[in-house]
Amino acid sequence: MPKCIINGKEAEFKPGENIIEVAKRVGIYIPYYCYHPALSIVAQCRMCAVEIEKMPKLQTACSTPATEGMIIKTTTERVKKNQRAIMEFLLLNHPLDCPICDKSGECDLQDFSFQYGDSFMRSSEERRTYVDLDIGGVIKKNMNRCIHCTRCLRFAEGVAEIHEMVAVKRGNNIEISTIDDRPLETDYAGNYADICPTGSLSIKDFRFKKRVWYLKKTPTVCEGCSRGCNMEVHEERGTVYRCVPRVNLEINKYWLCDEGRFNFKYVNSENRLTEPSIKSAQKFDFCDWSTAIEKSREFFQGKKTTVLVGSDLTQEEIKLILDFIPKQISVLSFFHYGTPGVLFSKDDGPADRILKMKSKTSNLYGIEKLGLTGFEKYSPQTGAFLVFRGGRASVPDLGGIPTVGIGVFQKTIIENFKIILPGTTFVEKDGTIFNFEGVEQKFKRAILPPGQSKNLSEIFMLWAHLGAARRAA
Amino acid sequence: MLLKPKTSILQKIYLPDIIIGLWITIKNFFFGKKVTIQYPEERRNYSSRLRGMHYIKTINGVENCTACMLCPTVCPAECIHIVAGERPDKEKYPISFEVDVLRCCFCGMCEEACPKDAIKLSNIYEMSMLKRSVYEKDFLLEQRGHK
Ligand code: SF4
Ligand code: SF4
Ligand code: FES
Repeated sequence: MPKCIINGKEAEFKPGENIIEVAKRVGIYIPYYCYHPALSIVAQCRMCAVEIEKMPKLQTACSTPATEGMIIKTTTERVKKNQRAIMEFLLLNHPLDCPICDKSGECDLQDFSFQYGDSFMRSSEERRTYVDLDIGGVIKKNMNRCIHCTRCLRFAEGVAEIHEMVAVKRGNNIEISTIDDRPLETDYAGNYADICPTGSLSIKDFRFKKRVWYLKKTPTVCEGCSRGCNMEVHEERGTVYRCVPRVNLEINKYWLCDEGRFNFKYVNSENRLTEPSIKSAQKFDFCDWSTAIEKSREFFQGKKTTVLVGSDLTQEEIKLILDFIPKQISVLSFFHYGTPGVLFSKDDGPADRILKMKSKTSNLYGIEKLGLTGFEKYSPQTGAFLVFRGGRASVPDLGGIPTVGIGVFQKTIIENFKIILPGTTFVEKDGTIFNFEGVEQKFKRAILPPGQSKNLSEIFMLWAHLGAARRAA
Repeated sequence: MLLKPKTSILQKIYLPDIIIGLWITIKNFFFGKKVTIQYPEERRNYSSRLRGMHYIKTINGVENCTACMLCPTVCPAECIHIVAGERPDKEKYPISFEVDVLRCCFCGMCEEACPKDAIKLSNIYEMSMLKRSVYEKDFLLEQRGHK
């Protein structure tokens, strides 16, 4: 492998790699704004300029590929002076409204200003201001904060494959906007906020909810579709505030679709049932766990039961169900369910050209591995249904047959359910899932289950315990 | 090894020391300068830098605070709770602002952290209350002890 020398450190590189990436690998960080590893390179912010021996001027590290024997210096006085100058230039028109900006705390402009900029300002001129029009439900635009790195434009064209962001006017008056100020159309709009190095584009849903430094971050896997994008759950005291993408070059690269990003909303929703409940007359009554489990056991006695397992459950849970349930009740057959129209993995496929898949549950491929088939129709002997659900699978029409539900249910979808035992969502449990390419991914619990909800293994433990106690009595 | 202090015979019988002690007490009691004051009628002059009851500074009736959450972040007693919101005349403002004074240690770090000169500790030090005192936003907005 060819080698170059950065700040006296020897660094190997693949031909064609730019200096930023090579330096990063040997632990030297070169600050940059307009560069993004997944976007085209324009070299217009000049923040990444470094000194290269035998070159008269500073060179932008993002657009200069490393070559054999190159000697690069990133901390000389000339480089530092340039960084100071660029910071001053970028902040000339910046409103410095960090106290009200949601990006504050994870903002490149803020961090670099602190690290490379001056602590005072020479300019006293009036700042450039823009009027910001609404650009749709996902993103809040504030162009006063923009540093015109054009990452958003390049994201729209290169990744989201939609020409919707443009830069109008020129020079100092340049303004980023959507074409004719139309609302954003892409299903990947949340990524604009992630790639924007300032607070110009921010997520509306997260606006003013929490300062980012309070959030606890747990890596997890999105349960939105069978792609299994890697993401991070940001949570504080049991409330999930947002999900952001986690880099995985094999699966989702740097991105996340809006459906997956905002899928967490049901976790802390008012509408979620978090108490064991039994239906009497037309409404659900809350009760304690032992009553609910005893009632379920009585309910299943003498009934032939069809068990529906949501393909949004983890491998561990599905295996547990297959092992435990046949010993407790008389099972006709096991089926999986999840997305209307996607019964088998051969029905699944890309839903667009970027990330989304047709199967709207994450573990369709794993559940098939365990030998379950998709639910089409139930046998006429079915006396009862037992439905397991992780929170995302859409429950099929059960023809009014009495049903017991275990898992996460919204109050709106439990019409003909008799008993509900509340379970855990994907952020409240550990587990393993298989994505559409058969990649096995594990994720970890981020928050504790709310209310009375319990893990599936805990529910089964209680069930077995109560059964043993009853037999002994 | 425990070292026993050397004591003279006079110290061992205590009596002379007790008499000396008593004399000091009597001297201070009858002839000394008084250190207590008749509190509600008489008051001490405290330094103007005293850190007392909190208030939020307003300008023309609008609170200075923009709900940046720096004061709850810096507060070592975790006694400030803010909910941020938006309204037409102000991009970000505190919908609710609570200071749980019973937890407060009056370190003044919130005042120091505030970029907007909003939360301040006044000179007022009479803060006893009959119930657990949480200062709500309306209470804090009265410009009590303005400085
Ligand atoms: S004085 Fe100290 S403890 Fe009290 S509110 Fe301010 S920062 Fe918090
Ligand atoms: S630091 Fe100042 S502006 Fe920020 S929330 Fe506290 S009082 Fe408001
Ligand atoms: S990152 Fe190299 S010029 Fe912007």
